[in-house]
Amino acid sequence: MFNNLSSFVQKAQSAAQQLIDPMQGLNLTNSDRHPSKASLFQNQFRLPSSQTPLYEIPAELTIPPSNVTQGDKERDRGWHYAGKLHLSEFYMCFSTTPTSFTQSASPSSAAAFTGQTHGAGPSGNGFTFPLCAIRKVERLNTQSLQFALAITTWNGISQESVKDKDAQKDKKDFREQRITIQLAGSRPACERFCDGLKKGLRNAVGSVGKYKKVISECYSEYLLRPEDKKNMNPPDAGLGMIFRYPGDPKKLRDRAKMRLWAEYLRDNGRNATLIRQPTFHKLIRVGLPNRLRGEIWELTSGSLYLRLENPTLYVDTLAKFEGKESLAIDEIEKDLNRSLPEYPGFQSEDGISRLRRVLTAYSWVNPDVGYCQAMNIVVAALLIYMSETQAFFLLSALCDRLVPGYYSSTMYGTLLDQKVFEALVEKTMPILWEHLVKSDVQLSVVSLPWFLSLYINSMPLVFAFRVLDVFFVEGPKVLFQVGLAILRINGEELLDAADDGAFISVLKSYFSRLDESAHPKSENPKLRAINRFQELMVVAFKEFSGVTHSTIQDLRLKNKDAVLNNIENFAKRTAIRNLGPDSKLLSPEELGALYDRFYGILYERQQRDHIIQEQLARTKASRARATETYPEHHNHGIEKGRVGLGPSTSLMDYDAFREFLASVSKWAISDAPAASPRRDVSEKDRGSYFGSFRRSEPNLLSPWGGNPEPADHEFMQRLFRRWDVDSSSTLTLQNVVTGFAHIKGKRDIMGTITYFFELYDDDGDGRVDREGILRISEALLFLSRRGLEGSLSNSASTPTPNGLSESSSSSLTPPIGGTINERFLGSVSAFIRRCFEYADPDHPNNQTTNEGTSPSNTDEPAGDNNSAFAIGDDEDEEEDLLAFEGPTDSPKPEKKKPELGDTIPPALGKPDTDNEARRAVSKAQSEKANAALDPSNPLHITLPTFRMVVLADELLEQFFESSFPTSLHLIDGLASTNQSTSSLTTFSNMGFGRTSGAPPPVPQAGMAGAGRSLRGVLDNIVTDASRVAAEVRRRMEEAQRELEKNAVPGQRDEEEEEEEDVQGLRPTGYGGDPERRSVRSSDRDLLDGADAGAGAAKNPEGQSQLNVDANGVQDARPRTSSSATQRIVEFEG
Amino acid sequence: MADSNAPKPSSSVKLVLLGEAAVGKSSLVLRFVNNDFQENKEPTIGAAFLTQKCNLPTRTIKFEIWDTAGQERFASLAPMYYRNAQAALVVYDLTKPTSLIKAKHWVAELQRQASPGIVIALVGNKLDLTNDSESGQAESEGADGEESGDARKISTEEAKTYAEEEGLLFFETSAKTGHNVSEVFTAIANAIPETSLKSTRGPGASSAVNRGGDEQRVNLNGPREAAKEGCAC
Ligand SMILES: Nc1nc2c(ncn2[C@@H]2O[C@H](COP(=O)(O)OP(=O)(O)OP(=O)(O)O)[C@@H](O)[C@H]2O)c(=O)[nH]1
Ligand SMILES: [Mg+2]
Repeated sequence: MFNNLSSFVQKAQSAAQQLIDPMQGLNLTNSDRHPSKASLFQNQFRLPSSQTPLYEIPAELTIPPSNVTQGDKERDRGWHYAGKLHLSEFYMCFSTTPTSFTQSASPSSAAAFTGQTHGAGPSGNGFTFPLCAIRKVERLNTQSLQFALAITTWNGISQESVKDKDAQKDKKDFREQRITIQLAGSRPACERFCDGLKKGLRNAVGSVGKYKKVISECYSEYLLRPEDKKNMNPPDAGLGMIFRYPGDPKKLRDRAKMRLWAEYLRDNGRNATLIRQPTFHKLIRVGLPNRLRGEIWELTSGSLYLRLENPTLYVDTLAKFEGKESLAIDEIEKDLNRSLPEYPGFQSEDGISRLRRVLTAYSWVNPDVGYCQAMNIVVAALLIYMSETQAFFLLSALCDRLVPGYYSSTMYGTLLDQKVFEALVEKTMPILWEHLVKSDVQLSVVSLPWFLSLYINSMPLVFAFRVLDVFFVEGPKVLFQVGLAILRINGEELLDAADDGAFISVLKSYFSRLDESAHPKSENPKLRAINRFQELMVVAFKEFSGVTHSTIQDLRLKNKDAVLNNIENFAKRTAIRNLGPDSKLLSPEELGALYDRFYGILYERQQRDHIIQEQLARTKASRARATETYPEHHNHGIEKGRVGLGPSTSLMDYDAFREFLASVSKWAISDAPAASPRRDVSEKDRGSYFGSFRRSEPNLLSPWGGNPEPADHEFMQRLFRRWDVDSSSTLTLQNVVTGFAHIKGKRDIMGTITYFFELYDDDGDGRVDREGILRISEALLFLSRRGLEGSLSNSASTPTPNGLSESSSSSLTPPIGGTINERFLGSVSAFIRRCFEYADPDHPNNQTTNEGTSPSNTDEPAGDNNSAFAIGDDEDEEEDLLAFEGPTDSPKPEKKKPELGDTIPPALGKPDTDNEARRAVSKAQSEKANAALDPSNPLHITLPTFRMVVLADELLEQFFESSFPTSLHLIDGLASTNQSTSSLTTFSNMGFGRTSGAPPPVPQAGMAGAGRSLRGVLDNIVTDASRVAAEVRRRMEEAQRELEKNAVPGQRDEEEEEEEDVQGLRPTGYGGDPERRSVRSSDRDLLDGADAGAGAAKNPEGQSQLNVDANGVQDARPRTSSSATQRIVEFEG
Repeated sequence: MADSNAPKPSSSVKLVLLGEAAVGKSSLVLRFVNNDFQENKEPTIGAAFLTQKCNLPTRTIKFEIWDTAGQERFASLAPMYYRNAQAALVVYDLTKPTSLIKAKHWVAELQRQASPGIVIALVGNKLDLTNDSESGQAESEGADGEESGDARKISTEEAKTYAEEEGLLFFETSAKTGHNVSEVFTAIANAIPETSLKSTRGPGASSAVNRGGDEQRVNLNGPREAAKEGCAC
């Protein structure tokens, strides 16, 4: 039954999508389809999102033949790799693999295996040096090398050894890590690069200490420690150090692996200064040794760089949230004893509390993810091999980059990758796929846990860890390759499996026999020695080598929309069902529409924000860096808004609420003339509500997108506050549903009247004071100013749809007792009058002094009063009720009597239709009203009074019975009411002070128009009651001031200023509003300031600094020294 | 359990377990299938699949059990598992009030989205944690758990009333002691209407036959809308 509704939301979403790209209906964010260069760069080198590619240049890397180990005598010239050198703010990276973000990749000189990341991981030969890991950069000026740099790192120089550096240098076992890089670009390009490097190195000097502390926690530092440090304590390499590592170390050949790694690290640098050569990737493929596993995972996944960026984040987070509670913590607590329970470390308090701390800390830093089952298993596995801090950052790297969306609150990443996996199976194993389809077996039922727990609880741990070894270098495609290989290897048996059960048991038994020989019957002992896991690895990476990062990426893009829609349909169904009893007051259609609209608006607002910010950043960037660098700002693909993506937008703030109301009720649309481009467009596609999404671009930058600007009336604020039951300043879907249910659901006039009354009963004491009465009447005028809707049975009435056009046409001529809307004005004025007439004094004593009679409550007929309001001659009860209201505080009742008879004649409860009569009444009542408005005579109305006053007027009654509830168009929205902007029935064009038929060019936004004409109305009512007028005027002006405050750009919040700024920078800015223009230019000054600052920092250094000699940079910490053959820029920490 | 001598008709029934995390779904299955209990059961990731036969006087039912993950965010995966299910165990934890609310949500979801005619049993687990478990049977029935100081937070009355309103089977169990566990499954087996037991999946049956049966079963169970609408990923 929600099919229609969900297709609606789908439409809504794809319509919203067009905000971003009108060519594409798919819900793909820009960064999906065109990942920014920055994000590609970050992915390739697994760098934090703070890093952007500043410079790049073709280069050749030379690694000197320092080592005994590689032992290749012929290569005593060292190793040479051609590739590309990149520089970001804090890193210098080199890779021989064609990068995924440049066309001109240099050919790799090494044909050897270099990992299969296809530019989406630390692939190829090369390095990723934090600039603070570089000790010295020298410019080599030899003839053969045009432009070469010698780079010396801090590799092997510990924090302590820095102090006695000279002694260190004498040590035999110490060998500097020094590599040479020859830049292959044009001379200016080389110099630009060097300038950038120099600047970066300078900035990095301060981080050297931090860097050394961070790497001191790497096991390699202990492994390769100098002789005199042999008895130092090893850094934490996980629970395995205490509880043993899983598997038999002999069988794993752990010692041999350790030796190989020690050798490799000695020759090629360790942790952050490690240089990737072919052996590196091979060593990973054969499985990491236990004690280095954590460190290499940290390095290849890039989480080391996250740790380097903010080394104390983990500890700080734990400290900051110590003792705090959350849902995530409850969920974590449930699972602590249920995480790898077979591993002894997790039967101990030590292991469990490590797990608790890591999961808890992560749930605090990423509350959107919080805690997802399976994270406990993954983190437990990590903790066997690494410290808590390392595991914490590795978990971040996983959630943010390696398996994005897997653990999110909707798990869309998991579901998406299941679709991708299915697509791959279909493509690579069509027969098996066909079989699955025919047998109605859902593949993901089997494969989902593989992906979600990274095979950790599908395979025996020792094997799962070997999958992880490769996964952290080569990325998520490894999960797919392994999954495909599993199916391929078991293909025959799977084809015999006829249902889910059989399917699963085939695979279960396969996993339990991974350590058996793959070819037990083979004659060849070598073949016999190959176990099934090795076979799996070979099939995965050889046979499925065609499955690359970009294959996965493409398939993800293709399936994303469908997956999100599925999730959203489910979420919608569930959300609506769980909405609680109030929701039963609304129809399923209404609920569905409400749900769609609620999230539609939040989504649209978020997209708008995003675009605006992107624009702003782009503008800023292009101004700040006119040359050299790339004008992208780094947006690392964090998507928001769609329900399917996560929980980030389930709260509606007041502005969103206004926009929401404006999409369902015409009264909630601002009276301010639309910005000129918008009106043009709205002419063109005034169509469906979502038609308004398709607007010309400038509108995207208005705070409301292409939607009509919502009003900001006090009534809306009250409604918001009323709905915001927990005073959180935001509304949940539940709040909104409850709110609507109470207005629309009950279809009971008394309920609506009560609701209205309570809106204005601020302190909940059952009384609405003078102020409140005025505000109610304002609200009534506000709500009716575009005409009344609903069934109005009044004799003179015309059906609603015509009401609109009628009122606009009638506004051309002075209204003479005409339309419902005009008569409603009368009703409202009568309402005010009656309210004051029948109000109770706050202090009965006051009242007595004013008046002879003092009915302290309205239920008590004041029969003794012969007031003008003795309308008692009418027979029915209501009128009798009215009869007693009259008395109150009129000092000259006799005088009024006849006129009242005229005004509220036989058919009491009928609105006044005659302005003149009304005026007459007003005149007559002026004095009485004076008393009513006398602030020294506080008064109030109670609910019964309010009810009575409303019911006394047929039109008001109908307003509460039908008009107000129906003015909220939940299901169809404001389909045809876009035009109402122009055919607005303002009071000013109804003859109250204005006769012009055109909508008034009110300069202020909001209800200024309504406010002004309201004043007119009230003036007419109480013409000579100067005090009343003064009071009302005060009220109106107050309102107007408020309005102006809200509407004037200077008062807007920052966000909007930014939006204006963006718009200001475009040619199609705001027309004609000088104040706005001034905001814009002042903003621009700000930008210029930043621009200037950046320029100042850059320009003086425009020339090559590597060429300046010692005097040139003496003041800076880096010293430049020169010698006959080379100029050295040396950095010392 | 299975009596191989008796040539009783055998049919398979797809059963799904739903309920909040850590209420003991997997433990109930483990108890039913292996008559075992583990104090620290790993949370279910996605879903687990197990089978167990259940012998009735007239026929043998082979349960194909889908044990799902309980955490809220896994809920969107559930349609994938309850698709075509003929029976469901909706489990709550007698000591956790929120778990009954969640159970009610699941019941509503199943009633709307799953195959029509699905047999649903509401199961309150961890009875061993309440006073009225083994020894205290006498003072049990509907007694207010909280007052007598045990861990029970949901009275038998409350859950039973709800189950009756919704037409569910109702049991209170303990996976730990095994109390009432096989009874739940037997009751479900008995409640499955004969007509929906078309599919026989004996070891001897060829897969072709199975397929035919399956498709029929699907059709019998009415519109496939539920399956399509679910998160078929
Ligand atoms: N005392 C007691 N503990 C139980 C009982 N059933 C399960 N438990 C415990 O409750 C915890 C959760 O049990 P599981 O069976 O894993 O729960 P689940 O519902 O499958 O949880 P998820 O897979 O996360 O949805 C485990 O520690 C069990 O030992 C029971 O009947 N009595
Ligand atoms: Mg479970």
